[in-house]
Amino acid sequence: MVDERVSAVQLLTPEGQRVAHPQYDINLTDAELRGLYRDMVLVRRIDTEATALQRQGELGLWAPCLGQEAAQVGSARAMAPNDFAFPTFREHGVTWCRGVAALDMLAMFRGVSNGGWDPNAHKCGPYSIVIGAQVLHGVGYAMGIAFDGAEDVAVTYFGDGATAQGDVNEAFVFAASFSAPVVFFCQNNQWAISQPRDRQSNVQIFERAAGFGFPGVQVDGNDVLAVMAVTKVALERARTGNGPTLIEAYTYRMGAHTTSDDPTRYRLAGELETWRLRDPIERLKVHLARQGIADRSYFDQIEHEGEELAEQIREGVRAMVPPTPASMFDDVYSEQHPRMDEQRAEMLEYLASFEDAVG
Amino acid sequence: MTNLTMVKAINAGLRKAMERDPKVLLFGEDIGRLGGVFRVTDGLQKDFGEHRVLDAPLAESGIVGTAVGLAMRGYRPVLEIQFDGFVYPGFDQIVSQVAKFHRRMDGAVAMPITIRIPYGGGIGAVEHHSESPEAYFAHTAGLRVLTPSDPQSAYLTIQQAITCNDPVIYFEPKRRYWDKGEVDESQSALDLGAVADPWRARIVKAGSDVTVACYGPMVRTCLEAAAVATNISLEVVDLQALSPIDYETLVASVQRTSRLVVVHEAALSGGVGAEIAARIGEKCFYELEAPVTRVAGFDVPYPASRIEEHFLPDLDRVLDAAERVMRY
Amino acid sequence: MAEQQQVFHLPDVGEGLTEAEIVKWRVRPGDSVSVNQIIVEIETAKAVVELPCPYAGSIEALHVPEGEIVPVGSPIVTILVTAKADDREPVLVGYGVKTDHEAHRRPRKPASRQERTPTSATRTKPLVRKLAKELGVRLDSVTPTGADGVITRADVLGTAPTGQAAGQVAASTGRDVRQPVRGVQRAMADAMVRSAFTAPHVTEWVEVDVSRTLDLVTKLRANGAYEGIRVTPLTIAAAAVIHAVKQYPRINSTWIESPQGAEIVTHSEVHLGIAADTPRGLLVPSVKAAGSMQLPQLARSIHTLIEAARAGRSTPADLTGGTITITNVGVFGVDGGTPIINPGESAILAIGRILDRPWVVDGAIVVRPIMQLSLSFDHRVIDGALGSRALVSMANFLTDPAVEMVLAHATE
Repeated sequence: MVDERVSAVQLLTPEGQRVAHPQYDINLTDAELRGLYRDMVLVRRIDTEATALQRQGELGLWAPCLGQEAAQVGSARAMAPNDFAFPTFREHGVTWCRGVAALDMLAMFRGVSNGGWDPNAHKCGPYSIVIGAQVLHGVGYAMGIAFDGAEDVAVTYFGDGATAQGDVNEAFVFAASFSAPVVFFCQNNQWAISQPRDRQSNVQIFERAAGFGFPGVQVDGNDVLAVMAVTKVALERARTGNGPTLIEAYTYRMGAHTTSDDPTRYRLAGELETWRLRDPIERLKVHLARQGIADRSYFDQIEHEGEELAEQIREGVRAMVPPTPASMFDDVYSEQHPRMDEQRAEMLEYLASFEDAVG
Repeated sequence: MTNLTMVKAINAGLRKAMERDPKVLLFGEDIGRLGGVFRVTDGLQKDFGEHRVLDAPLAESGIVGTAVGLAMRGYRPVLEIQFDGFVYPGFDQIVSQVAKFHRRMDGAVAMPITIRIPYGGGIGAVEHHSESPEAYFAHTAGLRVLTPSDPQSAYLTIQQAITCNDPVIYFEPKRRYWDKGEVDESQSALDLGAVADPWRARIVKAGSDVTVACYGPMVRTCLEAAAVATNISLEVVDLQALSPIDYETLVASVQRTSRLVVVHEAALSGGVGAEIAARIGEKCFYELEAPVTRVAGFDVPYPASRIEEHFLPDLDRVLDAAERVMRY
Repeated sequence: MAEQQQVFHLPDVGEGLTEAEIVKWRVRPGDSVSVNQIIVEIETAKAVVELPCPYAGSIEALHVPEGEIVPVGSPIVTILVTAKADDREPVLVGYGVKTDHEAHRRPRKPASRQERTPTSATRTKPLVRKLAKELGVRLDSVTPTGADGVITRADVLGTAPTGQAAGQVAASTGRDVRQPVRGVQRAMADAMVRSAFTAPHVTEWVEVDVSRTLDLVTKLRANGAYEGIRVTPLTIAAAAVIHAVKQYPRINSTWIESPQGAEIVTHSEVHLGIAADTPRGLLVPSVKAAGSMQLPQLARSIHTLIEAARAGRSTPADLTGGTITITNVGVFGVDGGTPIINPGESAILAIGRILDRPWVVDGAIVVRPIMQLSLSFDHRVIDGALGSRALVSMANFLTDPAVEMVLAHATE
């Protein structure tokens, strides 16, 4: 696979070396840096635990974000509290940073909910399974921000595959036409199930923004510092009325598309090896250790925290019970609806008619 | 005869169709290298090449829209929409273009497009992967809608859908993908004389008390219900075609039994069952001993997978309906 | 710490898979395991997958040998769990298609049917509504005995078992018995009244020596070609009526009165009504298109119709549409009478008992089986001359049926 990082912004090399960039820089406190490390480790722990739980049959499926922690944590931590995130179904790092409980992230994959949390409580939309749909939603939300005269920003997440969808291209058009305060954050993890990035676009993804009339920037998606720096600039642009930016975070989907997928059918093991050397967490760990910002005891503490979190998740998932059958009639409408009442009553009557009926 | 899963049966049918007609193209997401997320197109790109089995960019509207152009150029595109819930971005191209083109051009241009869509629930999936949108398409003039219920019928009907010069929406019941059945691959789907007409309903189990009309994933459910029904004799009719519906076979059956129950996963209101109930009410007004009764999903978005069994019609609900119509 | 056996069942590791092969066990019985430790490699239709252990403890037993294929949900390993007691349910089978190993029915509680109050006075299914209309039964005169106030077929036919209907009171005052008149009984009464008081009835009669008829019947019955076919004097009489219709079509007519004026419709087909005495009373099913039938078919049709009527299985189609009727009063032991014409028809033939009587043949008195024919006809449609001729035609036919049939055949 060709390395296409023609101009990807980088501030931290895979070896953990801090480097400069002509246009982008970042200054974080030691605590903030340790915080980013902690975020990424815990997100990865959630991800691996969920993968294991799926293998054990506790989850119907799981969309792993393995390898994409820096792209997600870096961008999400750059957001202000009142900014609003629009994730796909893989942004466990984003939902983590927006304060969504791990178990709420998993509810959908457990099959007990089609949502999982209150978007307004977390300023984060639900996981969106229809590819690209949420990108239009994000632009609309941003248009609303503009109409309100507020300074918030919407950040919409999507993958390389989604850039082919009509909805995403329309979102670009609308954002440009209305100068919407939105950041388009594309994680180019190189694969849309079995299709490599070049099936979706003849040019690099960040280059497409020019055609729509707004700036595009490519960033090393496994470099949490660069991601954060680039996102901060894009957020500021939007916040000050300068419209959308497309960020292409160049990263890699280390896991499968979902746990039902078998990547060995379409990609070479060698790729994985190459990207293992670019691991987002490893490079930050090296940097923290070398700079004396964190020591072994801190790393152990975070690992331990990860194990506890995993245990909570295990127990929590196993204890997750399905909603009641009649709940499927709740909230279909926001107002009373005769068909819902009628069918709910029918269902309850029917369920009660069985000899082994409970309750 | 070979014992095949429905997946392999459709695969074999696609292969036959491609061997027979070099203008048949397969187009869809992840169908080439990966062989499809359900492996229905497994091995076909390897054998027929990338110019006949194409991996599409991630865009359903693009897939259907470009297929219109391919058809105008003389190709016979067979499209795959990865899951039922993802057909909607392509809905406009289907109903505004594919369905209307032949009529618009006074018959000068045909749209021999087959759109394969895995549909239905019962696989414990997340949102958008368990839909039953067949009514939208059955309601659209210019389209034909077909749905197999077992490996043998899948093997034949996919070929017949492809050779049909009208656009066919081909709904594959994904929860039955792994059902095995005997498939006679020697049957050539082109010898319609030798082989059952796919546009005809099939009586898959004869009976005398109640006609149970069903299709796709519900056929097996209804056969199981018929097998355990001790006190009523059910006649199970696999409709196969939802547009046009074979009323000749259905009416003859209802004239024998005087009672009709229609079963589908799709929501009750405005579903295919509603159309059948109205039509049979007209055609069999004086033969009916009871109102046409439907067993269907509820009028709610498909629920979270852990409670989907309460949404889907099952053996108990089918028998409940059969007993109710017997009590009139 | 408590030890507990936990059985690990093969989960579905891909959307909707149904089985997998155990490729390689990474543990042996007795090995200790920790949570998430990989314990087995399985191969599905889609991929080779490593399965992590959900429990911490030790391997008690492996249940499936390497190389074997098992369905999702099968127990594959039992682990003695040493962690805290887990009283929750075991690991789920996994998502995907639920494999129903055998389809069975969930038992229901006995149905408690709520009686709902009827919303309209005459609730009945379309089939029954049509029957009532054809029989001339007014639905509002029928007491419903069906659930939810529904009028049943039996209600319309007046055949509902007594005692079930609300309002069907058979009250006795002293020794008088009162029986409400309903359903088909009522309809029949109304029809009789209509017929008797609108059509001017004339009845003519003639006595016939039916010795040749009886002879023919005996011979046909003994003939192998007629095995299983019930030929009776009634059959021959029916043939006689049909024969007369062919000679005098006008006797097979209907007088129609309308605001525009009156019409006599002479029918092209003969739908021969056969009056039958049944447990439910007098029913008159008709043999459709009797005029086109050969004798065996006529005999069969009459027999089938009467059997059905006696068993209560006559269809509305059977009971309506007749154009001329024959009634056998002879079975009751009478010679003849003045039968009332079926409404919508213009003539009815009654045949009486067959009795040996003294008869004059070639000047000598002999004993012959004699049957009386009584023909009532509507004088608006059929005058005396026509009626008489028709009656004579029938008498001649019964006097020498074989000859008459041959002659009729020759002139077709």
